[in-house]
Amino acid sequence: MVADLILQRAPHAMRETAADRPGVAQPVPTRPVPERPWVRVLVQAFLMFAVLVGGWEWYWRDYGASPSISNSDGLWAMQRRRIDAGEGDATVILGSSRLLFDLQLDVWEQLDGKRPIQLALEGTSPVSFLEDLADDPKFTGRLIVGVTPGLFFTGGAFRGRALDYFRKESPSQRVGQWLSMRLVEPNLAFYDPDFALGTVLERQAWPQREGLPPFFSVRKLSVSEADRNTHMWSKVEHDAAYRDYARGVWLKVFGPRPGGPSPEEAAKIRDKQIERAAQAVTKLRARGVAVLFVRAPSTDPLLGGEEHAFPRALTWDVLLHKTGAPGIHFQDYKELQGLEQPEWSHLSYADAKRFTAALHGIVVKEVWKPR
Amino acid sequence: MVFNCLSFVAFFAIVLALHSLPLPWKARKVQLLVASYIFYAAWNPPFVILLWISTVVDWYAARGLVAARRDRSRHLWMLVSVVANLGLLGYFKYGQFLLDNVALALGALGVSYQAPHDSIVLPVGISFYTFATMSYTLDIYLRRAEPANNLLDYALFVTFFPHLVAGPIMRPTELVPQFAVPRRASADQLCFGLALMTLGLFNKVVLADTLLSSVVEHVYDAKEAPGFIDAWAGTLAFSGQIFCDFAGYSTTAIGAALCLGFAMPDNFRFPYAAVGFSDFWRRWHITLSSWLRDYLYIPLGGNRHGVARTYIALMGTMLLGGLWHGAAWTFVVWGGLHGLYLAVERALRTRLKGYKPGPLAFLGLGLLTYALINVTWVFFRAHSFQRAGQILSGMVGLNDKAGPMLASYALIKTAVVITALLLVHWRMRSSTLETVVARSPALALSAVWALMAFAVVISQGTGNAFIYFQF
Repeated sequence: MVADLILQRAPHAMRETAADRPGVAQPVPTRPVPERPWVRVLVQAFLMFAVLVGGWEWYWRDYGASPSISNSDGLWAMQRRRIDAGEGDATVILGSSRLLFDLQLDVWEQLDGKRPIQLALEGTSPVSFLEDLADDPKFTGRLIVGVTPGLFFTGGAFRGRALDYFRKESPSQRVGQWLSMRLVEPNLAFYDPDFALGTVLERQAWPQREGLPPFFSVRKLSVSEADRNTHMWSKVEHDAAYRDYARGVWLKVFGPRPGGPSPEEAAKIRDKQIERAAQAVTKLRARGVAVLFVRAPSTDPLLGGEEHAFPRALTWDVLLHKTGAPGIHFQDYKELQGLEQPEWSHLSYADAKRFTAALHGIVVKEVWKPR
Repeated sequence: MVFNCLSFVAFFAIVLALHSLPLPWKARKVQLLVASYIFYAAWNPPFVILLWISTVVDWYAARGLVAARRDRSRHLWMLVSVVANLGLLGYFKYGQFLLDNVALALGALGVSYQAPHDSIVLPVGISFYTFATMSYTLDIYLRRAEPANNLLDYALFVTFFPHLVAGPIMRPTELVPQFAVPRRASADQLCFGLALMTLGLFNKVVLADTLLSSVVEHVYDAKEAPGFIDAWAGTLAFSGQIFCDFAGYSTTAIGAALCLGFAMPDNFRFPYAAVGFSDFWRRWHITLSSWLRDYLYIPLGGNRHGVARTYIALMGTMLLGGLWHGAAWTFVVWGGLHGLYLAVERALRTRLKGYKPGPLAFLGLGLLTYALINVTWVFFRAHSFQRAGQILSGMVGLNDKAGPMLASYALIKTAVVITALLLVHWRMRSSTLETVVARSPALALSAVWALMAFAVVISQGTGNAFIYFQF
């Protein structure tokens, strides 16, 4: 019995394959369908599947999620393509999550008359994207570049592959993006990377392996629309435990981490980023593109850490000096201060609107004339 | 286009709908051909031209072969096909590799030569469809098969989208006759085909991409040398990832073809339950191993010309099989290791004729086979010999100063998935999926099907390409 189990003696159940027929023309394969009531099996499976998916959707809606457009590489590529498809004279926003969440396109459009193209990417330095636009002669508009010190001056590239995706995007991927934005994303709240099976499993309370730091990951913070107009997710604003978790993550992400570059290496990287930005800005300005750097607000204790690791005199001031471009730093303007920042790094939805209006006012008054 | 993306869902729904229309068979075959070109062009439209070149060259080469009256002419037509196909494959897949190695060799001789880097893009699936088209002319040359009756059937054989980019590598005798008579799936075939597609996608999206790939990347793409546990976890995870990825593709392809009323051959037969390496190769990527056997090993002499010649043919076949997977010496070593294993097994079988292992020895030999296969996977996955060396030294416990790399969750999921995989393979080693399904209650089948589909949907795969696309 045991021997039969281990040796699996059931040769009658095997089906011949090409491996069993050397050196001959292979015949038409047989593909038998097991005798089962297949239509019933399919209908039952579909009903069970519908119940499971419905339950999953209900769970995430109960958690506070609602359907929104996924801030995917495909969505970014759609916005980037607008520049090459006749909107090269638009105002374009580059940067990291701060300008992505904090600059509200509706408000800007209301004040400026034209809706900007939002190309800022969370966790990512805009320098490579600045270079990309500098090399694209079709872009002749205006450029607002967000500066998050911990990303801009370190070359952070959490979403760095978006540019490569845009350049190599296949027709199939474009069709998939189009379908997803119409059929899936507007209808399913669970369709968000933060609620994906792998992510959910990973953040469970697994035992800690000795010698490794505790697991943490940035959770869902924002909600996006079809043109990447993005704002803070209401759960971050109203759920204290969720907000505390987000704050804790920032302290780990932007705090000192083992294995990071030495102070000398960090200075080299910082200078290199500034140098690259300066070269790109020179190219852009040579064809009449106006570039503006913006340092959006952050607050204690995140701000303290940023000021310590990236002193303004060594980063922001040098960037403006080397590029020759104007800059708006929130610490220089009263109207950009005192805004609500639930997790210290980004503005609440309501204050993002106030920030956008105030920023536009400063830009019009001090940097660019109204269009 | 990949099977695990939304575009394919829409594409396949349209193809199924068109295929079920009450149109003449020829019109439906034209629909399938056009759909297959769209399937390929959806990745990179200009490369459809390569498909056309391959199709047209082999169509006319086969006609030339049939019309030729002298052996010399037949040889020439066969060479036209082989040179054209291997030429395309060589240029796109091995051109840069060849130039880099020429530069290295000249450098060793003191001659300075800088190989140009033209960033040649590898057309997806070129290794698969060139082998499929070559088998058409080679079968006719070897007088094993008759040519297709018309160009439409032949073009559809080359291009038929379920097998086009990652197999199973079809032979003309397996598929062309299926185009002779009108085909439409029965309700049972359609349902079972959809169930197979779900199983394939579950393997790819949930097991390979969601659970195992990050473990592999964490170990293999790091710079630090891994310790014993991490090196083994990373390698075992890769053994699971590559199986679930590739067998997942084959199962999806077989299911898609069945939904349209066509039969495609098995490509995997629970390979991690193999006992010995000849057994492994009768279970792993069957359509490639049998292709190499029929068109390379046997023509090289096979086992008909003495012991030494047999070993040379065996090793030559496996080395080229390794190179087929990728233009890098690590793949050649992977193939070489398999050649070595097969040679040693052959020698042992000759010496120990009549030996029949008992149940425990059988199980032990199965586990030994799996362990040794894992050693070969190190060369398959590592980007360099240096990294392969680091992983292997970790696997034998030589990296005693290495710190931990993988979190306990990564270790747990690897252990669970690989144990389950091995148990399933062992349980199924002399059986087929169909046999098990036929014995299962309908409600249980529905529940498993629903759970797999649910897991695929909530995994939210990002349409990652299948590993074998790069080959």
